[in-house]
Amino acid sequence: MKTKMDFPSINERKPEGVKEDGSPYRVLVVDDSMFVTKQISQILTSEGFEVVDTASDGLQGLEKYKELYPNIDVVTMDITMPKMDGVSALEKIIEFDKAAKVIMISALGKQDLVKKALLIGAKNYIVKPLDRVKVLERIIQSIK
Amino acid sequence: MRVEYINPFVEAAFNVLKEVLTSEVKRGELYLKSSTQPVMGVAALVGLAGNVEGRVLFDMSMDTALAIASDMNGEKLEKMDDLAKATITELANMITAQAVTKLHELGFTFDLTPPAIFTGENMEVTDSEVEALIVPMELSYGKVEINVAVRERV
Repeated sequence: MKTKMDFPSINERKPEGVKEDGSPYRVLVVDDSMFVTKQISQILTSEGFEVVDTASDGLQGLEKYKELYPNIDVVTMDITMPKMDGVSALEKIIEFDKAAKVIMISALGKQDLVKKALLIGAKNYIVKPLDRVKVLERIIQSIK
Repeated sequence: MRVEYINPFVEAAFNVLKEVLTSEVKRGELYLKSSTQPVMGVAALVGLAGNVEGRVLFDMSMDTALAIASDMNGEKLEKMDDLAKATITELANMITAQAVTKLHELGFTFDLTPPAIFTGENMEVTDSEVEALIVPMELSYGKVEINVAVRERV
């Protein structure tokens, strides 16, 4: 039997979350909802990304970005959060690192804040509810 | 209470539940409830304040809440822990965000409070100054009642 040779392996496709050199893209997830953090982390790790850290408000997100820098490739940033909102945290991250790749996670109805974030320098945005295809597509667009 | 306040919540609940759950979603008949009503076991409450004011309650039994949270997380959750509560909160957030977008388009302006989750047995809710309209959403693992008590600010 030559079964293994006759059929192409479904695992041949390289996961999108892995760089040319084989190392994963490193992600910081900033969100005050444990559920959303878990959801984003699951989607990303299933595609080869590495979630290096999470933060539950904007201030903590900013601090963790500074700690991780330059060993960080992309940030997902919720908009509505306690202590420091996502747009302010984005602004501070861009001040610190002009090349930062931040993707905003928004509820519906926050178009004004999303626009503001894109003007400040967010690379993209995703509107909740999150689905796997949408999340991966938007994040991959921003890093490649 | 004017029915036009509840419709955006019903539409939003239907759309969001259909999108995030694997269950079928069926819309039940709208009904009006008297000033005091029992609450089923898990209730997410969102307050509205502006030129319309009041509250929206997403009410379900503990078993239904756990089944919804399990479905949304893709794993079986056994108890109403922090993750399960965060999941129901997020569900309430998504539904209200969609409903409010619609209400803003219709010209109503108001702010929302973050959802608060109540859990327990033998709970009741009383709205002494505004009547509540309720629309049940039937899921394969129980129902979620969208309970809206909103009025125009006088």
